[in-house]
Amino acid sequence: MIEILLFFIGASLLLYVLFGGADYGAGILELLPAGSLRDSQKKVINDAMGPVWEANHMWLILVVVILFMGFPSIFTLLMTSLHIPMVALLFGIVVRGCAFTFRHYDAVQAPQSQNVYTVLFGTSSLWTAMWLGIIAGSLNRGLIDPLSTDFHEAYIAPWWGLYPFCMGIFVVCIFAFLASVYLIGETENLDLKKMFIKRAFILNYLVVLSGAFVFAASADERTPLFADFFESKITMAIMIAATALFIALWFFIRKRQTLLTRTVAAGQITLILAGWYVLNAPNALLTAQGPVSFYEAAAPLATLWQLVMALLVGSLFIFPSLFYLMKVFKTGTTEEM
Amino acid sequence: MTDLMAARSTMAFSLGFHIIFAAVGMTMPFFMSAAHYLFLKKKNPEYLELTKMWMKGVAILFAVGAVSGTVLSFELGLLWPGFMKYAGPIIGMPFSWEGTAFFLEAIAIGLFLYGWKKMRPWVHWGTGLMVGISGFASGVFVVAANGWMNSPAGFDWVNGEAMNIDPVAAMFNKAWLHQTLHMQFAALQAVGFAVAGIHAFLYLRGRAQELHLKAFKIAMCFGAAASIAQPFIGHFAAQRVAVLQPVKLAAMEGHFKTERRAPLHIGGIPNAETQTMDYSIPLPGMLSFLAFNDVDAEVMGLDQVPRELWPPLVITHISFQIMVAIGTAMALIAILFFIYQRKNTFPSWLLKTIIAFSPLGFVAMEAGWIVTEVGRQPWIIYGILKTRDAVTPVPGMKYHFFLFLALYLFLSFVTVWLLKRQVAVAQRKFEVQ
Repeated sequence: MIEILLFFIGASLLLYVLFGGADYGAGILELLPAGSLRDSQKKVINDAMGPVWEANHMWLILVVVILFMGFPSIFTLLMTSLHIPMVALLFGIVVRGCAFTFRHYDAVQAPQSQNVYTVLFGTSSLWTAMWLGIIAGSLNRGLIDPLSTDFHEAYIAPWWGLYPFCMGIFVVCIFAFLASVYLIGETENLDLKKMFIKRAFILNYLVVLSGAFVFAASADERTPLFADFFESKITMAIMIAATALFIALWFFIRKRQTLLTRTVAAGQITLILAGWYVLNAPNALLTAQGPVSFYEAAAPLATLWQLVMALLVGSLFIFPSLFYLMKVFKTGTTEEM
Repeated sequence: MTDLMAARSTMAFSLGFHIIFAAVGMTMPFFMSAAHYLFLKKKNPEYLELTKMWMKGVAILFAVGAVSGTVLSFELGLLWPGFMKYAGPIIGMPFSWEGTAFFLEAIAIGLFLYGWKKMRPWVHWGTGLMVGISGFASGVFVVAANGWMNSPAGFDWVNGEAMNIDPVAAMFNKAWLHQTLHMQFAALQAVGFAVAGIHAFLYLRGRAQELHLKAFKIAMCFGAAASIAQPFIGHFAAQRVAVLQPVKLAAMEGHFKTERRAPLHIGGIPNAETQTMDYSIPLPGMLSFLAFNDVDAEVMGLDQVPRELWPPLVITHISFQIMVAIGTAMALIAILFFIYQRKNTFPSWLLKTIIAFSPLGFVAMEAGWIVTEVGRQPWIIYGILKTRDAVTPVPGMKYHFFLFLALYLFLSFVTVWLLKRQVAVAQRKFEVQ
């Protein structure tokens, strides 16, 4: 039963990173200088994200619901110890969603107001992605201390530090990389295509570089991540596979194979997340008192059973609808009217 | 401001803010689909214009509703970890169904907004209707979860721990039916009157009159039908509250002494010191009748519970009076609307009254939620867990409060400004035609 829920948490997080992450990345890309391509980039991003962003956002809600129903003590621990980064994250989510919708639906498409929305959308995408990374980085440092009564120790120390900060940058790079790879196939404009390819290339390096920084910071902080990662054959194999896939990625980009390019990029991100899961499983997080395992934190069986039922039945509705959504908007250009 | 007060205030305005957008999100797609249906049947392009106009409103308000709903799902833990620890496993079920329904809604709205040229017309129409149906369902689930806070069920409370959890029984608690009915109809009323009011205003301005009259009629049919049903539902709800939460009823009515032939107070301010209702018009026996269908029935008063378990009386009573007063007026207007609709003409005084009422449905809805939530205090789970025992240990909650208050005020301002721009642009477009 718990394994099924863990699968759903893992899958939802993965889908959130892949789809929601690409949406965040698109916002981040809009912050980069694009010269005369700025407006056409904005249009491509609007068309690509418009129909799907609300559905992409739902994967996060799903994780939250599974946590608070199935693993309430983990949920309350996260929301208490990581209160500040969670609030920062929420703030970003609200501003981002509103800015994107307002930009599109403002009846007067004046340059001044559009610029304000674009800046808000871009900065809040960057901000939110950063905090997602910081929260992820806070989970396995062992500094979450529910027993502490000292303000700094209880609410600041868990997420404040070089390693979570590096994770934040890593996540920003991953999202922007995903978006640039994804957007290559979304435009017919050759200049824009070239720009996305160039950015994918640069961001590709940045992903590797910021990933290295994550390890360096983790070694510096002596978080268990560093030692465990290099001791485990599985995680090493995963890292080698993810790196090797870059060769395939660049081959497919050259060959203009949109679908394969996207699949490989998604595969790399899946591997990175898988490595992270392997290191943490079956624990959700590491506190000052030791690891908190999903098995220990699970709600009573009757609840888990209902949750699994809801997820399975819900999937019967959601996946065909999602598939239909993708199918409708996969082909041709997206036009609203 | 204490941390408890800051947390309560944060929750209050987060909910108060979200409820407005949620109400629009779960009812306006039905108006939109009705207009869309009429277009597909009659091929009158005005109905198409109207569908697209409403669609843009739905898109803007839906986005704000979706993100403010996300905030709420986090805030349950950020503000009330002591509540979620117990409540999560028990009432997570309606939340998981709500998540499913909302997911479908998010998919359907993407399809509808962007799918005009991508799907066959009737399939496309179906996705618009699906936005309404799934939105409506998610409203039912989430209000059912709130019902559980008022009427906890589906577990045994043994030494401060929840045992023998039964999520199905928790979801179908004794309050779920009256609360969901009351809320869903309130949403139809409020949004129906608000939309009808806007179009009545534009109609009286004398521009694109045909279009605005059509819009007015569609919105008002929903709003008026719900308004006529609502007093009956409200009566049913009050009778349930009389049984399930007698203290809340006593606070709503400013009823201090347990007595037979209990009076109903119109207006007035409950005075906790003298334990009397000041400045009210009492109708003897009417409270007994309303609560138990019998003028001689005994109605429990606040004297049956210790003073520290009283909810804030003035807020609860006045909110209740506001809700009932506005609701009653809306029901009367609704009857007039149907009378004049049969004559197929609307006098301008009626249109002006509806314009005046366009924000009041939301006021009534907010007042109703204040009655539900403030009337349950000091309990977060009625009779089981106190609000002060559920609040987060994180200090400095006032910063959280001011941060989100500023954000939401700003968003409200921008949303209203954007909707005004939509209306103005649509107006100009019709003038050119």
